[in-house]
Amino acid sequence: MSSLAASPPKVSGAKAAQVHIQRFGAFLTGMIMPNLPAFIAWGLITSLFISKGWLPNSILGGFGNADTVGWEGAATALAKAADGTTFPQYLGLVGPMIVYLLPLLIANQGGRIVYGERGGVVASIATMGVIVGSTIPMFLGAMIVGPLAAWLMKKIDSIWDGKIKPGFEMLVNMYSAGILGMVLAIGAFFGIAPFVTNVSAWLGSGVQSLADAHLLPLMSIIVEPAKVLFLNNAIGNGTLVPLGVQQTIDTGQSLLFLVEANPGPGFGLLLAFALFGIGTAKASAPGAIIIQFLGGIHEVYFPFVLMKPVLIVGLIAGGATGVATNAVFGSGLRAPAAPGSILAVLAQTPRGSYVGVILSVVLSATVTFFISAVLLRASRNRDLAAESDGLSAAIAQTEANKGKGSSALDALSGLAGSLAGEPAMAAAATAVADHPVRHIVFACDAGMGSSAMGASVLRDKLKKAGVTGVKVENLAVASLHDDADFVISQRELTDRARLKAPTSVHISVDNFMNSPVYDDVVREAKSRQQTEGSTP
Amino acid sequence: MTDILTRDQIVAAGRATTRDDAIREAGDLLVSTGAVTPEYVDAMAEREQTVSTYMGNYLAIPHGTNESKSSITRSAMSLVRYAEPIDWGGHEVRIVVGIAGLENEHLGILSKIAVLFSDMEQAQAMADATSVDELYRLLDSVNAE
Repeated sequence: MSSLAASPPKVSGAKAAQVHIQRFGAFLTGMIMPNLPAFIAWGLITSLFISKGWLPNSILGGFGNADTVGWEGAATALAKAADGTTFPQYLGLVGPMIVYLLPLLIANQGGRIVYGERGGVVASIATMGVIVGSTIPMFLGAMIVGPLAAWLMKKIDSIWDGKIKPGFEMLVNMYSAGILGMVLAIGAFFGIAPFVTNVSAWLGSGVQSLADAHLLPLMSIIVEPAKVLFLNNAIGNGTLVPLGVQQTIDTGQSLLFLVEANPGPGFGLLLAFALFGIGTAKASAPGAIIIQFLGGIHEVYFPFVLMKPVLIVGLIAGGATGVATNAVFGSGLRAPAAPGSILAVLAQTPRGSYVGVILSVVLSATVTFFISAVLLRASRNRDLAAESDGLSAAIAQTEANKGKGSSALDALSGLAGSLAGEPAMAAAATAVADHPVRHIVFACDAGMGSSAMGASVLRDKLKKAGVTGVKVENLAVASLHDDADFVISQRELTDRARLKAPTSVHISVDNFMNSPVYDDVVREAKSRQQTEGSTP
Repeated sequence: MTDILTRDQIVAAGRATTRDDAIREAGDLLVSTGAVTPEYVDAMAEREQTVSTYMGNYLAIPHGTNESKSSITRSAMSLVRYAEPIDWGGHEVRIVVGIAGLENEHLGILSKIAVLFSDMEQAQAMADATSVDELYRLLDSVNAE
């Protein structure tokens, strides 16, 4: 323990990269997870009300002719009928929700993580530019533009931070965010939106050339990632369906209809989450299976992959397995299965193709399930450490990040041993870095009691240990920003705090007055302070 | 010290025997000085349901929720000492500090209490103090920040 301060752990390049990847993963989860209810709501609405849904509703589903249905006052848009005439069609909930609501929610959440409410607002304004600058759903655009816009706002604010004449802060703050939002929305409209549209077109032509070269299973390498970025309809309807229709004219069926619509891989992924996932993801996976597999709304599993991008490997392998199975059995569908529900798939299967089609769904689900399960199991301890606050799990994780044999961790392990059987105190570190500790935030529900107490005690301890240059503040969890090195909160609040500040190291305490964690934090701050002075 | 925690908001022999009554006792002291409306005391009880305000070392600091800040007219605190331990969700509490804080005006005094109670010996001294004067003197002796 005594050698602790003298030998700070060295963070190698590979470890640093690992920390970066973990932080990125935490960021993605923080951006997607709070919006999962919106995905579920959209999935339910879609599987119920579209023209091929369970309770088709031409007003809510957005396919009815307002002149003939007669429900007045709802938003409509001109649409072209099969005979070339135009008619006022209801917008419904399905289209506007996926085009506007979901990307804006993601952008707002991503912006908030980077720079609080102000970041969220600017992120949403800028993302509006990518959404209306294109005709395809802009999830990729929102995930890039949102956080970027918030980061720019943060940088711009720092230019005149503290230099504004008193009394003008409000005016400057409102107009700087408004003007930046406007500029970014226009920039995104002309810059990012065409770029994403082009990416979608390239992916489509990539799929087409693979089909031309008869390298059919390889199509999954493009199709599965494109699906998860919500380019599924662009590629499905834009490339695969026209090619499939061409084949059907020649042979009466086509396996191309099943490349994107096969519900097997998504089912396998969700099943893996239901059995081996953790927390909210595990709890919401079974419901998502129903919406995805029976309802045919594949979109509900995309957030699960966006949170943990490595899982795309399992989807690609599963998708390729499905395509290969159909190629071997010479099976396919008569027409596009839309939505990609198992029931719609079976309804479009010609008599001679049942064995191949059913096997392609089963095998693709099995392959995706096994690969996803292995990947989820492999990172389970780390995820659990980040999710719950088991001390030994946290230490195991920190050890993995830092490299073995760090004396700080030996000290912590000893502590864990001495506290075994007392779950009151628990620390969870989600990432480590070797830069000096500058900012520690105590978070509680109201920000006026417990957190203020904790902050006072830690400030006192830091002062006594001779550690300087560390800002210790107390905040309500609702006001947390993702800019602190450590966030210390009560056990019950740590999950909420982690959502607000996914890249900070989170520490849970039960006892604010004499938590042994404080001494570890003081030691850590002290050792990093000395590192800063001694390393070139 | 300051007008946030005055002598008449300190009670050396609290009457409550349960956690909920103790929250009410500390809250009523805040109401009696005109610092908060009676709704704030309900918010204090409500806040305790979600997260315990037990701090460790005999201390609990009941206070309202983030939303209840509108029920506060000025920052104030109250302190009640109990001769018999109160069961605070399985922990023993001897000193209950009621808090109504606006704009962090109460942080100076709260820091003093925090630093005082982070030392178990001083916490024991507070628990053993039988008069308002003694409690006040112990609080005042802390040199925080």
